[in-house]
Amino acid sequence: MALIGQDISPPDLRAKVTGRAKYAEDFRAEGMVFAKLLLSPMPHARVRSVDASRALAMPGVLGILRASEVNQPEAPGEAALTDEPKYVGEPILALAAVDETTAADAIEAIDIDLEPLPFAIDPLDSLRPGGPDARLDGNVMRFGDSGRELVSLKWPQTEFDAAEAEGRLPMGEPTDEWDHGDLDAAFAEADYVLEDTIVHQSLTHHPMEPRSSMAYWEDGRCYLYGSTQSTQRAHQAMASQLDLEPGELVFVGQYCGGGFGSKIAGVPIYQVTALLARKIQRPVMMRINRYEENYIGRARPGFQAWTKMGFRRDGKITGIDLYIIQDHGPYGRSGDYNTAGAVTDLMYQPDAMRFRGLTLYTNTPPRSAQRAPGGAQIVAMLEPLVDKAARELGIDRVEIRKINAPTHDSEFGPGRATTTSAFVREAIEAGAEQFDWAGKQALSGQRNGTKVTGVGVGLSPYVGGSSGFDGLLLIRPDGKLYIHQGIGNLGTHSMADTARAAADELGLEWDDCAVIWGDSSQHHPYSSVQAGSQTIHAHTRANYAAALDMKRKLQEVAAAALGGSASAYRVEGARVTGPGGSLSFAQAAERAIAMGGEYSGQELPEDINDYTRASATQLAGQGLMGVARDNFSHEGSTWSWVVGFAVVELDTETGDVRIVDYTGSADCGIVVHPRSLAAQIHGGSVQGFGQARSQKWVFDPKWGVPFAHRLYTARPPGILDVPLSMDWAAAGEPDPQTPIGAKGIGEPPVGAGSAAVTSAIADALDGRCLCRVPLTTDVILAELEGRAQPHALTEIHS
Amino acid sequence: MSDAAITTETATGHSRRTFIKGVIATGAVVSSSSHLFRARSLSASAAVRASMPRMISLNVNGVSRSVDVMPQETLAMTLRYKLGLTGTKLGCDRAECGACTVLIDGVSHYACSLLTNAVRDRSVTSIEGLEGADGTLHPVQQAVIDEGGFQCAFCAPGFIMSMVALTNENPEPTREEAAEALSGNLCRCGDYNKILNSAMRAAEYARRMV
Amino acid sequence: MAVIRDMMPAFELFQPTSVDEALDVLERHDNTWVLAGGLDSMDWFKDRIKRPDVVVELGSVSELTGIRASGDGIEIGAMTSLRDVVASDDVRSRFGLLAQAAAEVATPQIRNQGTLGGNLIQDTRCWYYRGGWPCYRAGGNICYAGTPRSMNREHAVTGQSRCVAVNGADTAGALVALGAQMMVRSAGGERVYEAEDFFVGPEIDIERMTVLEPGDLLTHVRIPGDWADARFYWEKVRDRKSWDWALASVAAAIVESNGTIERARIAVNGVAPTPVRLTDVENLVQGMPANDDTGMAAGELATRGFKPLRHNDYKVPLARNLVRRAVRGDAA
Repeated sequence: MALIGQDISPPDLRAKVTGRAKYAEDFRAEGMVFAKLLLSPMPHARVRSVDASRALAMPGVLGILRASEVNQPEAPGEAALTDEPKYVGEPILALAAVDETTAADAIEAIDIDLEPLPFAIDPLDSLRPGGPDARLDGNVMRFGDSGRELVSLKWPQTEFDAAEAEGRLPMGEPTDEWDHGDLDAAFAEADYVLEDTIVHQSLTHHPMEPRSSMAYWEDGRCYLYGSTQSTQRAHQAMASQLDLEPGELVFVGQYCGGGFGSKIAGVPIYQVTALLARKIQRPVMMRINRYEENYIGRARPGFQAWTKMGFRRDGKITGIDLYIIQDHGPYGRSGDYNTAGAVTDLMYQPDAMRFRGLTLYTNTPPRSAQRAPGGAQIVAMLEPLVDKAARELGIDRVEIRKINAPTHDSEFGPGRATTTSAFVREAIEAGAEQFDWAGKQALSGQRNGTKVTGVGVGLSPYVGGSSGFDGLLLIRPDGKLYIHQGIGNLGTHSMADTARAAADELGLEWDDCAVIWGDSSQHHPYSSVQAGSQTIHAHTRANYAAALDMKRKLQEVAAAALGGSASAYRVEGARVTGPGGSLSFAQAAERAIAMGGEYSGQELPEDINDYTRASATQLAGQGLMGVARDNFSHEGSTWSWVVGFAVVELDTETGDVRIVDYTGSADCGIVVHPRSLAAQIHGGSVQGFGQARSQKWVFDPKWGVPFAHRLYTARPPGILDVPLSMDWAAAGEPDPQTPIGAKGIGEPPVGAGSAAVTSAIADALDGRCLCRVPLTTDVILAELEGRAQPHALTEIHS
Repeated sequence: MSDAAITTETATGHSRRTFIKGVIATGAVVSSSSHLFRARSLSASAAVRASMPRMISLNVNGVSRSVDVMPQETLAMTLRYKLGLTGTKLGCDRAECGACTVLIDGVSHYACSLLTNAVRDRSVTSIEGLEGADGTLHPVQQAVIDEGGFQCAFCAPGFIMSMVALTNENPEPTREEAAEALSGNLCRCGDYNKILNSAMRAAEYARRMV
Repeated sequence: MAVIRDMMPAFELFQPTSVDEALDVLERHDNTWVLAGGLDSMDWFKDRIKRPDVVVELGSVSELTGIRASGDGIEIGAMTSLRDVVASDDVRSRFGLLAQAAAEVATPQIRNQGTLGGNLIQDTRCWYYRGGWPCYRAGGNICYAGTPRSMNREHAVTGQSRCVAVNGADTAGALVALGAQMMVRSAGGERVYEAEDFFVGPEIDIERMTVLEPGDLLTHVRIPGDWADARFYWEKVRDRKSWDWALASVAAAIVESNGTIERARIAVNGVAPTPVRLTDVENLVQGMPANDDTGMAAGELATRGFKPLRHNDYKVPLARNLVRRAVRGDAA
């Protein structure tokens, strides 16, 4: 029986339940010492001077590392240490000592003189005439005639005045703009037009495992232990950041205690550990605590947005005008806002759409992709508005989503892209049935004492696959198939699940397979960054390609050994059998080693990545090798979908909300691992619940200092904040553009969970849409009581 | 060099049990287990000076072990950096995530927020203490595996310890009671549904064992 | 001096086995700190903001733990864990209000380790103050949380006096409503305080949350039998259902006869620097029917004069409605 489609036990479970699984902070080395960071107390400052002499004179202090000693990328890139900190909590320097207590005491003994610089916490403040820029070189990046340029962009006061008078978001000159269709005509055709300003918070990833790392040097090689979503890509990125050849760095990341987009490839702070270790010639442990993780651990960018949407009487969306101001943090350039525009166009298929937006540098912690970057924000913001229209037009809320959902041929976005498949309606129908949408409509508005029930639905698409990576397999003389995986082990089980594409093609039982992962010295193939739900798609393909290569070689090895034509040999039951007899895989491996050439990896395909080539070369001669690049066709972009259905109980006297029921239904191609799929749908949705209900940032606007920097103030959802039991469904239709038929599913449940809850809360409020996330108790109660909201219309960190 | 420790008797008549003095050490002497966390700061505050060796005895996972502990040291640090028991995780070090949950005399506690000295005469169980000597998994561990485990599993040791406490204290929990018992543990993968399934299965396995 | 968090500085640790011994240690040292469950304390230590030279850990003082009969009521040792308070038949059967409040403190692990005394005397969670800002409460001469631009969603709506922090102890309101007494010992002897007098606002002492001064130990909480047969109402509204402090909470003991309120004792917390006993409301509702009209009148009276800050106006209707529900007699 094929492994794909079955629940299996991943190879790491026993280690995980016994405490033997080693995460980065669990490694030790002889003579290991400890590093601590000095963080900026100011949102933007210049380091005038540092006097570490008292610290360095303390017994047990081994050395410090300054910004000048780490890689300083070109603006607006981020360095691991800086002399111009641009947010409270940014690392300025690191210090190593024989123990952490000494290191902390020594940090306190450092005299540091900081010159405060102007800072911006709210993007809109930075756009006002004379407003502060978060960076000395500007507040936005523009793509001008001379390429990208950092500029200081200000909007005229008249725009702010007009916005205030009209009670809407200020919308001056954007940096990004695209449109299609005739928007004026689309709104003219509409029977119902709505217009709203909407705000979405920024929120920290907060994986359970902070980004601790340990490093030492031996014989000129650096050994670095870190937490990462993709071991292979982290190895490459860290080697590059440390100016090392890949062969000079061993990167170990066997277990990743959560990433959610925050541990893609190179984690800047790991540089500090490695460089300190080299400088002081001792193994260094950099234990990152939760407070530091809050600052350096990445976050989802918030949006201040405005939209106008036109609907025909039959529910069809005619036009969408969308404006997004993105709160960016001080470095890099995240494209969440652009993705949000494309997602909007894809999921609602308006006849005409205009997108305008820009991303503002702010003196807040750096942003990066967070599970469905851009998508999760925009669906949480727009889905309740679609509900509002459905109510106004008397259309069922599930129906209106089906009316507007794309089909396989639909186009979207500035480039009018197409998707590989879109079984959106199938997913909606499967979910509606599982959840009993029709029956649960009766609950909507039902009162029980002071509690009123709301029922909600939220649709959420996201990119679900990339292609073009390599697979690397080896059958060793022990007869086992070794599946080398460069992707990390962050709990999605895709490290094991994608290996099954190879196992199935070679007809193997799971016990005959071994997955090799998490240690660059074990030789990984070139892999995806394991983010953006690429993995199940990209690596079932890559492993399948390598398995086809392996199968051909098995047949040819057997034919060479036993006679007859290669094509007459079948691969099954861990043997290759044909007219001349049968070889076990173990025998085939021995034969391949004897034959050499491509069979044992001495000769390699031309088109594989150089990284894979290096790994394969290291493994050459040890068995029968299957190695190939994924060259399968891939037309259009791959998108997965989740629709969430939620029931909430809202207390009209306190504003308290309980999510009491939830079902998520996916279009993710075929189901590879049912239990893991359920975990992704539910887990992502739970992150969405936190986004919808409790997680946020708070900054003192005068001092630029954050307060939600501990878990108890950042408020990720706990087990009592989610339904006691959750359900799931899947359309289960294979994607035609990938041989295994599977699409990724990590991203879309976040937006589905968030949107279903915001939709259900609006339903409990008689359809009143608060146009804001998170919908905390105070916000809801102010609405119920008709009192002033605790925030201004566009306030983003309140 | 000299270290701090438990006095046998102090001038003021406090018992040995009551008087543990802090510390100053005079040089960069590496402890015998140099790959572990060093025993104490080399730069304790000036107000805290004493100079006695200070080993204490801790009962961890049924074994009594001698360990050198600072007055301000937490149990999580002792387990992880003195005793090599790295299954107990530090997710927040602030009693806010539960990854460090251990049992003290069978009752769940956050090891990150408990002074090691406060559990000297008590029985400490960490995740490493659940598996039988023959490799037999604890029913809770088996239940977790049979439900497909956690996701990233950094929270798993803490959740599993809370599940052990639950199955000991309430052999037939409702799903709601199980959730309440696990409400001091955070899972950022959001895998609560599967975790509750595991807890209910764990209770079932534990009942069968009795 | 640069700032660093999350590493406890060294201190001297004492683990006395009796109250006398503990008091002796406190008497003989400067800059001391009494550690009960330690959860609130360790936050301060790890932030390196409160830096005692001497820590007195009370876990071995057996006379401070346990629940026993006392007159027509009970007496609870200050070092009794919240878990034991919740599990106690004596507490549950006669003073269920306290059990309900204690059961909603933080998380199971915190209730297993945290003590009744520690919960009562915990410091405020004002994030400016906890963040080490040199405010009034920290000995400075400004309040950062009370300015027109400050972030004060979780701060006080009443009882502000330069400082706008709130009391975060869930069990405090319950004990005020139960008419409990706090027994305090120092080298100078024993003092007894009514629960409502035990907590002090910034107008009395801006650097303390309770009457306790250095050298004092809260030893026991005595709950008289006065309200043992009352109908109790406890409700805590919070952002998350575990871990969180209250945005506001209400604790009420109400004795009714045929639907008429004979007497009531009501406290709200999370709205002021101390738990607030609502004496006016107690007088108002006496002799009134326990219904929504009475509840609404009670809630309005309770919140009259509340002065919300920029971000916490919601606490006015929240407190009003919690009092309303308590008086109305909702099933909690």
